[in-house]
Amino acid sequence: MDQPALTSRFTLAYAYKRSLGPVIGAFMTGLRDRRILGARTADGRVIVPARAYDPASGEPTGDLVEVGPSGVIETVSHVAQPSPTDPVQVPFAWALIRLDGADTSFLHVVEGSAEALHRGLRVTARWRAERDGSLRDIEAFVP
Amino acid sequence: MIPTAVIGIGQTRHAAKRPDVSMPGLVREAALRALEDAGLTFADIDAVVLGKAPDMFEGVVQPELFLAEALGAVGKPMFRVHTAGSVGGSTAVVAAHHVSSGVHKRVLTVAYEKQSESNAMWALSQPFPFLPPVSAGAGGYFAPVIRAYIDRAKAPDHIGWQVAVKDRQHGALNPCAHLQLPDITLEQVKASPLLWDPIRYLETCPSSDGAVAMVLSSDASTCRNPAWVLGTSVRSEPLLFAGRDEVNPRAGQLCGADCYAEAGVTPDQLDCAELYVPFSWYEPMWLENLGLFESGWRAVDAGHTKLGGRLPINPSGGVMCSNPIGASGMLRFAEAARQVRGTADAHQVDGARLAMGHAYGGGSQFFAAWIVGSTRP
Repeated sequence: MDQPALTSRFTLAYAYKRSLGPVIGAFMTGLRDRRILGARTADGRVIVPARAYDPASGEPTGDLVEVGPSGVIETVSHVAQPSPTDPVQVPFAWALIRLDGADTSFLHVVEGSAEALHRGLRVTARWRAERDGSLRDIEAFVP
Repeated sequence: MIPTAVIGIGQTRHAAKRPDVSMPGLVREAALRALEDAGLTFADIDAVVLGKAPDMFEGVVQPELFLAEALGAVGKPMFRVHTAGSVGGSTAVVAAHHVSSGVHKRVLTVAYEKQSESNAMWALSQPFPFLPPVSAGAGGYFAPVIRAYIDRAKAPDHIGWQVAVKDRQHGALNPCAHLQLPDITLEQVKASPLLWDPIRYLETCPSSDGAVAMVLSSDASTCRNPAWVLGTSVRSEPLLFAGRDEVNPRAGQLCGADCYAEAGVTPDQLDCAELYVPFSWYEPMWLENLGLFESGWRAVDAGHTKLGGRLPINPSGGVMCSNPIGASGMLRFAEAARQVRGTADAHQVDGARLAMGHAYGGGSQFFAAWIVGSTRP
């Protein structure tokens, strides 16, 4: 059989909206105002991003607590050559960051080369000038 | 099998939009109400069984993982059921089997849909290469099947209108029902726009946000009015095969027959039933499919399916009043249980002791049903 396989073009798009509820909604709104919010659990831990229910107990979380905007890198996954869809167009890393005042780690982008970024390095959020209440309101973390 | 009972039921007030809560918040609302009704907390639950319509609807893949925290399920067995529109019913059956098999003592089961954040029409209409799309939505798909029923049964047009009025009158007695149309008339239904021949606008279900939850247990000692699960069935058939009768599907017939046999009852012993009727004409169709009446449309015409009639159908108002798709089937099962527990408030069927809950989905190809009773088997 040397006939080419029958093919057809198919474009899938995802057009969903979400109600975030009072806790994750407050977290997103906080980003717009340059604040990173965590939620305090009944046993006193601070979960970031803020979540409505404590993953450990299933109980509702309590007060919202401002954390960061600086913290320490816990792990990094380096991207030496960003692709056009990556959030920044310079060498960077996806990193888990333990923000000051938080008891969980926060996944975000840290700018820098593989040589420059390492576990234990202190980094700070660099905010986008135009913010609309999304995780991209933090452009990246930088040393 | 270990006797299994519904000992707690909770549901949200169904509405077109619930922008005040996230999806986790929505399911938790129903779950906490069911636990409160059972006098239990999340800590008392051994496993959670979750149902919702296809993942593409809200675009959340494996929603059971997404919702585990809100349902107090972290560290516990959690199981997702996935049978299209019938899923709420199949989920209740799976939850019942988790208990009746002896594997778990107390199971929380939850079903939901947040249609305001979903795109059901889009999800059902993807132009996948080389496959026929269901591009007319559910109404367009079912309309020719309804027309075939009308022709076969020689049913007069007003039967569909009667069901549309009756279910909305029932729904007006149920504060959780989404559509509240207490003064609806036959003339209004008849004059409403024709959407897909013969289905008129007021003969269709709404699009709802909502959730429902039940606690099933082998220990009903703390419950003064358990609803005992007497018979269950899940049946399916392919969407397309030669000789398929989509008006009166064999899988649906067998689903009903399984339940009667397992419960050891005949259809005429039922005090009421909650059937999955998203378009008015599906009431007479399912009455015949499930063997509840020989002529479904004559039963409707005679008023047998109204509250106070011989066999009230959908005393809660049914899918015609509230349709959070994934929850719609479980709502039928839960409302059947409420009837035999005597907790259906203003839409209670006097002295109901035996009730059926029923759901269907896909192209009339997935079926689930249970019969619940007030007496321990």
